Amino acid sequence: MEGFVRVAALVDVAPGATLRIEVDGIPICLVNTEGQVYALRDNCSHKDFPLSEGEVLGHRLTCAWHGAAFDVTTGNALSLPAVKPVRTFDVEVEDGQVWVRLS
Amino acid sequence: MRSETGNRHTGIVAGDSGTVVIEAEGVNAAFNAAAVERLALQGPAWLGDLRRESWAVYERTPLPTTSLEEWRYTEVSQLSLDAYRLTEEPLTGAPSGNGGNPGVASARAMLEGREASGRVVIVDGALVEASLDRSLEEQGVVLSDLLSAAESHPELVREYLGREVTPEFSKFAALNGALWTSGVFLYVPRGVQIDKPIRVARWLTRSGIAIFPRTLVIAEPEARIDYVEEFASEDFEQPVLSCGAVEVIAKDAAQVHYVALQRWGRGVRHLSMQKTIASRDADLDTLVVNLGSDVARVDLHAWLDGPGARSDMLGLYFAEGDQHFDHNTRQDHKSPNAQSDLLYKGALYDSSRAVFRGIIRVHPGAQQTDAYQTNRNLLLSNDARADSLPNLEIEADDVKCSHGATVGQLDEEELFYLMARGIPRAQAERLVVFGFFGQVLDRLPMPGVVDELREAITAKIG
Amino acid sequence: MPKNETITELDLDEYRYGFVTDDNKPVFKAQKGLSEGVVRQISAHKGEPEWMLNFRLKALQVYHRKPMPKWGGDLSGLEQTMDEIYFYLRPQEKMERSWDDVPQEIKDTFDRLGIPEAEKKILAGVGAQYESEMVYHSLKKEWEDKGIIFESIEDGLRKYPDLFREHFATVVPPQDNKFAALNSAVWSGGSFVYIPKGVKVDTPLQAYFRVNAERMGQFERTLIIVEEGAQAQYIEGCTAPVYTTESFHSGVIEIVVKKGARFRYVTIQNWSSNMYNLVTQRALVNEDANMEWIDGNLGSKLTMKYPSCYLVGRGAHGSILSIAYAGNGQHQDTGGKVVHAAPHTTSQIISKSISKGTGRATYRGLCKVYDGAERAKSNVECDALLINETARTDTFPYIEIEENSASVGHEASVSKVGEEQLFYLMSRGMSEEEAMAMVVRGFIEPVARELPLEYAVELNRLIELEMEGSVG
Repeated sequence: MEGFVRVAALVDVAPGATLRIEVDGIPICLVNTEGQVYALRDNCSHKDFPLSEGEVLGHRLTCAWHGAAFDVTTGNALSLPAVKPVRTFDVEVEDGQVWVRLS
Repeated sequence: MRSETGNRHTGIVAGDSGTVVIEAEGVNAAFNAAAVERLALQGPAWLGDLRRESWAVYERTPLPTTSLEEWRYTEVSQLSLDAYRLTEEPLTGAPSGNGGNPGVASARAMLEGREASGRVVIVDGALVEASLDRSLEEQGVVLSDLLSAAESHPELVREYLGREVTPEFSKFAALNGALWTSGVFLYVPRGVQIDKPIRVARWLTRSGIAIFPRTLVIAEPEARIDYVEEFASEDFEQPVLSCGAVEVIAKDAAQVHYVALQRWGRGVRHLSMQKTIASRDADLDTLVVNLGSDVARVDLHAWLDGPGARSDMLGLYFAEGDQHFDHNTRQDHKSPNAQSDLLYKGALYDSSRAVFRGIIRVHPGAQQTDAYQTNRNLLLSNDARADSLPNLEIEADDVKCSHGATVGQLDEEELFYLMARGIPRAQAERLVVFGFFGQVLDRLPMPGVVDELREAITAKIG
Repeated sequence: MPKNETITELDLDEYRYGFVTDDNKPVFKAQKGLSEGVVRQISAHKGEPEWMLNFRLKALQVYHRKPMPKWGGDLSGLEQTMDEIYFYLRPQEKMERSWDDVPQEIKDTFDRLGIPEAEKKILAGVGAQYESEMVYHSLKKEWEDKGIIFESIEDGLRKYPDLFREHFATVVPPQDNKFAALNSAVWSGGSFVYIPKGVKVDTPLQAYFRVNAERMGQFERTLIIVEEGAQAQYIEGCTAPVYTTESFHSGVIEIVVKKGARFRYVTIQNWSSNMYNLVTQRALVNEDANMEWIDGNLGSKLTMKYPSCYLVGRGAHGSILSIAYAGNGQHQDTGGKVVHAAPHTTSQIISKSISKGTGRATYRGLCKVYDGAERAKSNVECDALLINETARTDTFPYIEIEENSASVGHEASVSKVGEEQLFYLMSRGMSEEEAMAMVVRGFIEPVARELPLEYAVELNRLIELEMEGSVG
């Protein structure tokens, strides 16, 4: 698991929930949905706001502020007012621990 | 009111209320009541009270956030407010032979060879010297540090100090009102016309300090004066804060030029709150140049306060690296028949960012107003960013008002024209940028000062 | 606003449609005010799928959470009357299929609204909205043959659930702003339009709106999908009779313009001058597509409306033509937004406003160019005309540029009707009022010429009426 950093215990990211963490000062939003954990940059690409405050439905993560929505698997914008994707990161789950790779 | 999400995501309170209070956490512990008290004991009692009142306003005023329209594009965290200490330098009368501070020579060098009728040298927030041509002294002109002026001319200082840049102007104006040290006072009596400019050189030597410059200029009716203030320093490792206030009053038919050339070194956060009052038939022109510092925020509020008043408001900025310049201007027309014309131009390299927000406000009854406002930005790199908000608020009908804003690149045609004549691209670009700025400098009727500005810009453009 | 002022400023409406149809009884009337119960009632009444009920309930929470906007116009009068508003009304149960089936009473209302004969013929293919619900709806045969869908929004949801759900609220999500949230919770009525790939129609799709019950809010919702290479236009006009208490209209219009398609949306609103008109109109514009908003704001007490184009595909073009007339006691806070998020996108906003008496016209606009929108070009021009000294105008553009190869310009000017122009026209035998009307017509001509003929004629008639008594 080269380049991966352990960031949280899986129990801290309940299914259907999000968790804000930081790696090297970069805010990251962990999302546990559809049996997988995903990691996205925790800043909405519309107006800077933590996506971890948002709501998850399937692969869709909706920002709480203005309703911009993103696909957690790709980071692509699914709804206005966002027009730009957010960055995604590789995630591994092992022994109940969540690992994220920044590169 | 405090937002439910606290101050971590202040953004969500956008538009919520103009009175959002974000606790002043992170604001410097060195800015405290004891520091204000130490200063309040100097000078006359009324001045001390003024500082205490300012401090009270400061304490109850929330820090601005990007949810406020006027701070929409500048995060207050960029000012690193918790980083500073106050200077322990004496307030006045640092002897002219003060060899202890190596900055004195550098500061004096700023004025060398410059034509001037009066000179003020300030280093690290302390006044080193103030001198004025004897003939002007004899005509009643006063040029001195503000604290001594409060003793020697209390009737003037008491009437005007803080009348325009009030503590309510902004939290930072209140902070300045409580903690200012390096004040300059200029008084020009009725009808006295001064040909050569008054020059003020402000120099900084020490990392990590906060200084609070203050300027009060009063031109009596039919007086004429040019006032050129320059801010400069080396680059700093630790952030430095310069939080200044400027009040310029031109009474009936007076003519005043105020020029502020900011070329601090990197590391400096420059805040300047300026207010100009042009009375009947007065000309009050300003030029604000921002070249240096990491972050510069200038609030310039021009009042056209009598029929026939005129203000020409010019601005130049040239940003590179990650510099962030924010200009917030107002042209307030309260009286009929007044004119104001604003032109701010900026060139942005690298990942620099410029904000221009300007308002022309024509109050009810201010008929025959002519008010114009133009902001032009050149984006010279892919990462640069410009935000421009030219606003009009018009409550009289017989007016001529317009504004314009453009953001664009260098004119390729112009570049190719120069390159076709064998000028390398980099040099051609500089020439075009110079031409772009030239339209502002050409409007400044101060040939000597214009030459210096060209030098300063050349030094930066390279 | 003092009562006597209200009466003076409503002169125009009195003149044209000064009546109240008292015997027009709604079949179903929800309770006053806004609550979860009202939202459930609306959804149940419409027989909606569960996802839509949940969407509405969530939107209601968002609505309660969002603060009232503190910018723009004065909404204090609206806040005070929120509890008095009926959030849902439904005049009759059944959808009409042909003109013959439309009740005589409603036909009379259309007559008194002064809809021209020519348009009545077109009404055969028009959705007309009457008290929150489509009461009349049919399509011209040629449109049906082309596969165009033009339904009430309720039928859109019922008949085309997948197409509907794929696009609904992706252009304007409930969280976007407080009034979008409100609309999302209580929407009722509006149109669902689908133009299939490559289909081109010349005759505009039209919808007439009318609010006719006192203290009724109208929350129409329109969703328009224009497939690749298609071309069409849609016209929406609003008029409302005079009432003494506040009224409220808050619509959401969502438009998706796909690759290479062209779409034009025309609104002329002439709500009575007690109306708060707070509308979100937004288009998502894809590659090489072209979206055009034509927005005329003549009526209402306060309108806040900024049609938007989100240019997300390479070469997309957006244009907004806006005209606002603010008479006594009116505030038109209008403008437009263009967001450039792809290379070679272009946009233009032209705004013309007239303020008269105590009227206030505000232009508020955004031009945003994201990093990477190479060679994006945008041009904004605003002209404001002031008729007398108590009138007010503001211009608040936001220009946010992250892309250095973009070229963006904004210009605005404010002027008074020129004495010289008036003098010249009067020396040619015109009365001062006629001369004034002519100057104003000349001023708005660039917008008027883009309107369908009958609208342009109506607009000119309106200007003449408005200029009566404006001089001296």
